[in-house]
This record gives sequence, C-alpha cells and structure tokens, in this order.
Amino acid sequence: MYRYDEFDLGFVSGRVGQFRDQVNRRIAGELTEEQFRPLRLMNGLYLQLHAYMLRVCVPYGTMNAVQLRKLAHIARKYDRGYGHFTTRQNIQFNWPRLQDVPDILEELSDVEMHAIQTSGNCIRNVTTDQFAGAAADEIIDPRPVAEIIRQWSSLHPEFTFLPRKFKIAITGAPQDRAAIRFHDIGLMAQENAAGEVGWMVYVGGGMGRTPMIGKRIRDFVPHEDLLAYLESVLRVYNRYGRRDNKYKARIKILVHEEGLATLREQVNSEFEEVKGGVLTLPEEELARIRAYFAPPQFALSDDRFDLAALKREDAGFARFVEHNSHPHRHEGYTSLTISLKPVGGVPGDATAEQMEVVADLAERFSFNELRVSHEQNLVLPHVAIRDVRAVYDVLNAHGLAEANVGQISDMITCPGLDYCALANARSIPIAQELAKRFGTAERQAEIGPLKLNISGCINACGHHHVGHIGVLGVEKKGTELYQLTLGGDASENASIGEILGPGIVAEAVPDAVERLVQTYLGLRKAKDESFISAVKRVGPEPFREAYLAA
Amino acid sequence: MQHSLIQPQKPDPIRAMGIIALNGMFDEHDAEGVIRKAAELFGDKLAVVSSFGADSVALLHLVSLVNPDLPVFFLDTGMHFPETRAHVEVLKARLGLSDVRTLVPDSRDLVRFDPDGTLWEGDPDSCCHIRKTEPLNAALEGFSAWITGRKRFQTAERGVLPHFELTSDDRIKVNPLAYWAEADVAAHKSDHDLPEHPLFSEGFTSIGCAPCTSAIGEGEDARAGRWRGFNKAECGIHFDVSGEIAPPQIREAPMLFKKGRFVTDPFKPLGENANLKGVRYVHVPLSKVKDNLDAIRQNPHPLGLLIEASDRVEDVAEDLDRFSSVAVSFPAFGDGRGYSTARLLRERYGYRGEIRAVGDVLTDQIGFMARCGFDAFAVANDATKKALEKGELAEISVYMQPVGLTEVPVGTRPFLRKPAEPVARRP
Repeated sequence: MYRYDEFDLGFVSGRVGQFRDQVNRRIAGELTEEQFRPLRLMNGLYLQLHAYMLRVCVPYGTMNAVQLRKLAHIARKYDRGYGHFTTRQNIQFNWPRLQDVPDILEELSDVEMHAIQTSGNCIRNVTTDQFAGAAADEIIDPRPVAEIIRQWSSLHPEFTFLPRKFKIAITGAPQDRAAIRFHDIGLMAQENAAGEVGWMVYVGGGMGRTPMIGKRIRDFVPHEDLLAYLESVLRVYNRYGRRDNKYKARIKILVHEEGLATLREQVNSEFEEVKGGVLTLPEEELARIRAYFAPPQFALSDDRFDLAALKREDAGFARFVEHNSHPHRHEGYTSLTISLKPVGGVPGDATAEQMEVVADLAERFSFNELRVSHEQNLVLPHVAIRDVRAVYDVLNAHGLAEANVGQISDMITCPGLDYCALANARSIPIAQELAKRFGTAERQAEIGPLKLNISGCINACGHHHVGHIGVLGVEKKGTELYQLTLGGDASENASIGEILGPGIVAEAVPDAVERLVQTYLGLRKAKDESFISAVKRVGPEPFREAYLAA
Repeated sequence: MQHSLIQPQKPDPIRAMGIIALNGMFDEHDAEGVIRKAAELFGDKLAVVSSFGADSVALLHLVSLVNPDLPVFFLDTGMHFPETRAHVEVLKARLGLSDVRTLVPDSRDLVRFDPDGTLWEGDPDSCCHIRKTEPLNAALEGFSAWITGRKRFQTAERGVLPHFELTSDDRIKVNPLAYWAEADVAAHKSDHDLPEHPLFSEGFTSIGCAPCTSAIGEGEDARAGRWRGFNKAECGIHFDVSGEIAPPQIREAPMLFKKGRFVTDPFKPLGENANLKGVRYVHVPLSKVKDNLDAIRQNPHPLGLLIEASDRVEDVAEDLDRFSSVAVSFPAFGDGRGYSTARLLRERYGYRGEIRAVGDVLTDQIGFMARCGFDAFAVANDATKKALEKGELAEISVYMQPVGLTEVPVGTRPFLRKPAEPVARRP
C-alpha cells in the first residue's frame, strides 16, 4: 500500500501543529465556537449530540495492521474503547475530549493517518471497492488512481470551499461494490476498443433528501487525462453549483436543474482548456504510484473450498465461508469479510480488542493488509484458502465470525438519534430488533441475499435509498416514525427505493419487514431468485399491499 | 497619528443657537465686519489658515486691516509650487503680517505612509490628511476659532457656507468671504492693488500642492484644477458643516496586504454617479464594465475591475489588460467561487496585474488564495490583520498538487509537490 514520503509527512504534521494551536486558542477562549467551527471541520472534528466526534480518514478504505492497532489504542486511551466504521470507509470516534484531539491527530500522524478533509465542503475521502486489488472480476486495481486523486484533492486550493461536500468513488471491476452511481463522481474502469484501460465517468449521484442516480457524463477518459477531467468537473461545480440553499448545493442538483447535456458541454469546454496541462499524468508517475500497490508474493496453490464437505463437517464454518468469502483473482486465495454486524450489536462498531485481533490476523494471514467496506465491515483481502479455518477460529473466539455478509442482518445503519444531532429517530435499536428477528442462520439461509439499510433521518447516512429494503426514521409531531422503502440497489443496476406507505412506529417495523419478506418468499420463482431480483420482476405492488395490510 | 476613533463630541446646542444669531448679524459681503467680530469674540484664541493661493491675498488683506498680528497658519506640505513659497514672503512684507506660522507634516507620518512621496498619486485623501489635516489639528490646539477663505461659489459642497460655523470639534470656523463671488475677489484685489500669485496669470485659479493642482480651461470651475481626475473636492481640513467627514486613515476599514506588508491602498470606493470616463483608482464592477465598455476604454486613468462571486470573468476577457487591479469578491468565507475566478484570470487569460481578494478574507484562506493567483488581500478582520502583521499565517507548507502555470516547472512530474513559500515573505 501507499507509504508517505517526506511531502506527506510534512503536510500532515504541519496540519497537526496548526490545529493544536487552534484548539489551544479555543480552550483559552480566544476563539469562539463560531470561529472555531470551520477550523475544526477542516480537521474532521464534529460537534455531535453529546460530544465531539472525530472522523479519521482511511484512504480508499485501505490500511495495515499498525494503523488498525493505532486506532485501537486511540479508542482505548481517548475514547470509550471502541470506534465506528463508516460508509465512507472511515472510522469515527464518538467521545474524544477536545483537549485530546491534537494528541490523537499526532498519534495518527505517527502511522501516516489523519482526519483532513473528512468533513467540510471539500473533496472527501475517495472510496473504492473493498476488494480492490484482490477481486477476481477486476479489470484493474483502482487504488493507484484513488491515491493519485487523494493527492490531487488534498487541500486543493481551488476546491476547499465548494458549494457542498464532494464525494468520489472509483471501482476497477464491472460489479460495482463501491456504489459509484451514488456519488458526486463515480468512476468505473473501462477497456476501450484499443484495449486501453480508462474511466467511465458518472456524475451527480447521491442520496440524502434528494436521491439521484449518477448519470454517465463521459464514456472514456484515459488515465493521463483523468485529473484534468476531474478538475474540469469540479471547476464547473465550484462556479455554478447552487450556494443559496444547502439542501440544493450538491452537484446532483446542478445536473438535475441544468440538465446533463448542458453540464457535459460546460465540462467539455473546460476540459478542452485544461487538457494537456500540468495535470497530465505521465505513465511513469502512474507506475511510481502503482508500485506501492504491487500485489503481494502469493504462494502457488490450487486450494479450493469444498463447500459440500464443509457443510457436513462444520455448518457454522461452512456458512462463514459461503457468505463471508469473496472470489480472489489469485488461485488458492480468498478475501474474507469480517462482519461488524453481530446480532444485538451496533452495526459498524468495533472494540479496541477486536481491532487488535483483526490487526494480528492481517499481519499473520493477509500480507498486512486490511480494508474497510462501505457496508461498514472489515476485510482481510488476501487470505490463503488453507488459512481460512485458522482465521475463522480466531474470529469466532472474539465474536467476530458472524456469517451474515450480504444477508438481511448485514445492515448499513447510521448512528441515529443515539449520537447524531441531525437525526429524527433512532437507528441502532431498530437494527438490533431486526437482527434479533431475522438474524438466525436458518432464517437468513431461507431468505438469501437481502440488503436492509437504516437511516435515522432524511440525510440518508444509512443509505436507506439503496437498501433492497430501506428504513427511514422520520419525526411526526414529536413521535419517531419509520417509513419503509423497497427496491433500492447500490450496485451497477442502480435504483432508488420507493416509499411503501405512511410511517409506522418502531415496534411495528420488524412485523412490517416480516410481511415484505413473506411476500417475497411467496412469490419468488425459485430459491435462487434473490429478493431484489424478485422485486424488480414483479414491481412493488404486492409488497405495498403487504406493507399496508397491517 | 493621535486620532481617536471615538466620535467627536456633539456641539453644545446653546452655542449652536448663538452661531445662528451671529450669522444674522452681518451683511453678506461685510467680510471685514465678520473678521472684526471674530477678533472681538475670540481674542488671542483666533487664528487664520491660509493656503497663500490664488485668492488668499484678498482675505489676508482684510485680516491685516483688522489685526496684522493674528497668527496665520500656512500648511507647508512639502509639495507646494516654489511660486507659492515666494508668494508667502511677498504677502508677509506687503501686508505686514507679523505671525505667519509654517506648519509641516510629522516626519514619522511621512516615513510610515509616504516613504517615496507618491501617496498623492493613489491616495490623495491620505496625502492631504498627513500633510494638512494632522498638522493643522495639532496647531489648532488651544484655539477656539479660525478664519478660512472659503467661498460659496467654489464648490457645490460649499454652497451652504455661513459666516460662522460650529464644527464637530467644537471650534468655530469663520468664513468672511462666504458670499463673495469670483468677481468680488477680483475687484477687491484690483481695488487695493494687491499682488497676484505668480501662477494666477497662467490659468491657475485655485492653487494647492503642485502634484494635485492644474490650470483650468475655458468655462471650468475655479477649483476644477484641484485633484483633477479624482473624486475629491476638499483636502480634509474643511470638515463639512455637520462635521461628518472623518479623517481618511480612520475611514479605511479594510487594509491592503501586499508583498508581505500592509500598504496604503490607492483604490477608493466607486461613487454612485461617478463618470466612468474620468474616474481613476476605483474598481468598476464587471456588470458596469460590460454596460459601459466605451467609457471604460476611453478612460485614460488607472482603473480596477471588481468581479463579484457570481460574475463570469469570461464576459470581460478581452478588456482585462486595461485594468491594473482586479478585485475578486468573497461574499462569505465559505464561498469559494473566487478561487476559480483567480485561476482563470492568471492561467487562462494570462492576467498579470494585481488580483486582490476582497470581502470575507480570513487567515485560513490566504494560503489557498495565494496559490490561486491572488497577490493582494483587503483585510477587514482584526484577527487576520494581526496574524498577517505577525507573519503568522495558517497555511500549509507543502503542496500536494500542481496549481497554476508556474508552480510546477514544465517537464516535471505533476505530482512533484513543491514547498509553499509563505505569503508574508514573498518578494
């Protein structure tokens, strides 16, 4: 993975020193909260419902054991012993004390981490496929390009005060695991007729109160022109994006109001001007960055899972292999997802001890590599198939072997009203109740793949719009209510869920989901027709009826 | 500069009533009567202020008839015509003025605000302020009233001038010639065979400092040659009737930070009805430029352009070279449109003049702004001023990406990140 050079080190430590001074001025009362706010936001420090929240960047969700151990240490020393992994592949600490934050940032800089640009109206962490560099279906590893985008976008002087935040996602595989069409810019690797790999560009996707699916603005941008193209899009957005209303300030609204054709024309004319300039990426620079992401020294092996045999020997392990392993591009290896969605737990949370266990496993079994997925799980990307059992046993001993990846209990859930100042309703208790109802191995085996996402408010941090079933917390006359949506899909077949009907109280949510599941089980053509396939085939009506039948 | 920012005391209303009564006592043209009354009322607390200009001789002659020993202040700005200095000596001798006092500017002010003697060029208000207003304010300490030679006909602002005027510093200004017309002055000079200022015959009808005085043409106002081309009619020693004109140094809220230090800003706000053909040292809004291209193109003076956040620099691309300064507005700290504007100015249109950030300019932005091409910052925020003065800029020391035409030498890798030069220490 990428290693800091002297520039990165100077860049990050300079920021730490600067922020320490700002925090001291705040504590001394020289800065008001109002003056301090933009400064702390530049450093990922939010003021939440109960306390400050520090969001630490995990660039494109990639880190190593030393870094995860440092996060564990920070959780233990400065927080309440845990951290929360986010849908932006970052980690949040929910209880740091203001006076400790400079120390935390300094400790992070020791392991080449920081919190820069994890908030504010700037280009946020570039996210990608958690199986990048490992997935069998990948055209190219997107991480070198993600790293180049990270460098280009870090404190970009022109784009640090955008109309609103700006999120870029990139995938090197045709199966979109990075939800690229729900980002301000989505990049998908493409091979052109000449056999060259470049990028298809989507623009204007997003969730929030106005969910939009990203539209294809350009079919192919070669590597060397990618930054010039991104700069063109950002410049058009910076100049013409709405600034009069924070809820209409994302680029998706600009695309919606101006129309894709107009935006494309503006971007193209800008691109014509900047193309071939200083941002042109020479092949040797790409090669230099790519070298950091060179594949590890895989052993030659033709090991495979024999699932049928495993099922006979150890059903639990078999379930883990079936759900939590992902096909690897190198024979004899697999990528293992470590679910942070145990039944009754808080989705995305990991304790310091768990982080240390995972860090050890990464060191021992995954070439010291780790990933955070946008579904809020951790990934060991390169595990030899013959080591999976050993990994499983360790995970199992630490309550980390939940075999539910891609199942109904593998929910994306925002922190909700338990933590968040914006939320209308609680999310975590809903997730816990649903996990209790549907989380048994038998039920999940019966239901099959189903993504259920929960947001505590319209800002949609829990990605409810793209849940096959989405749960949205709303507030009506002082009561927390929940609306259910159906048919959302974050994959390459992107779609936005439809609201099924009026909101219901928290206690009614498990039953309502139950009715949707039962409807699906009743109408699926075969056991291998997944929930989302069935919904797309028959449409929402039978589900709507079931929802309203209460 | 010992000026307080505190509002001057409001004049005592009873005294104000007395002034009104005084103003009814004299025939409009009875200048000598007015001077006699002033001498009687104020005794040794009365002074005369004279420019020893084109018409000064008339007033000084009348003063000498009443009391040639009255102190007469001459503001030696260091910028006068040599003819004016000669004229001072001629009048002293001819009129028997025994107490002409020459007031000179504070040398520390000159060093601080006008080290190279060109302040008049960009900022005549400030120039007058340090050369006239400040020395006079100091000299008037201990005086209750002073006599001026101002006349109603000279300018529109002077059109309401009374004989006696209570100013906001609670002094009384006496204007014996308030109602005199140009012809009255000429007649008085001729009746008493008074010596003319040597430049009068060359068309100089109103004479101040050499750089800001020019001869007038046919049909022009007598004072048209003063501060020609500037939106300026008074030097600053004559506060208006209500005393509302504050000294310029104090009025200038934003300070211009340029090349590592705060400098006097030659640019002034654009007056509402200013003539775009004749204005100078103002930033003309882009929309106005678009609508008045001919006037702007005919204007021979230094001009600036103001680009609001929602303006498109493309709209005036062809005329950019005409402006010596472009002000890019930041209506709010978080509104980043100006960064794109500045980059387009520098990189796309090759604009090489000053690009200044105006509006909500705070410490944390200045490093970003400099990289986008800004080289001047109009700073109103106190904390930012302090930080800049101390050279403490909240800025990054290394760049992660190339920006602009010059940061990355041609032929090098785009990601050859270059250490930033602190703005404060730029040459």
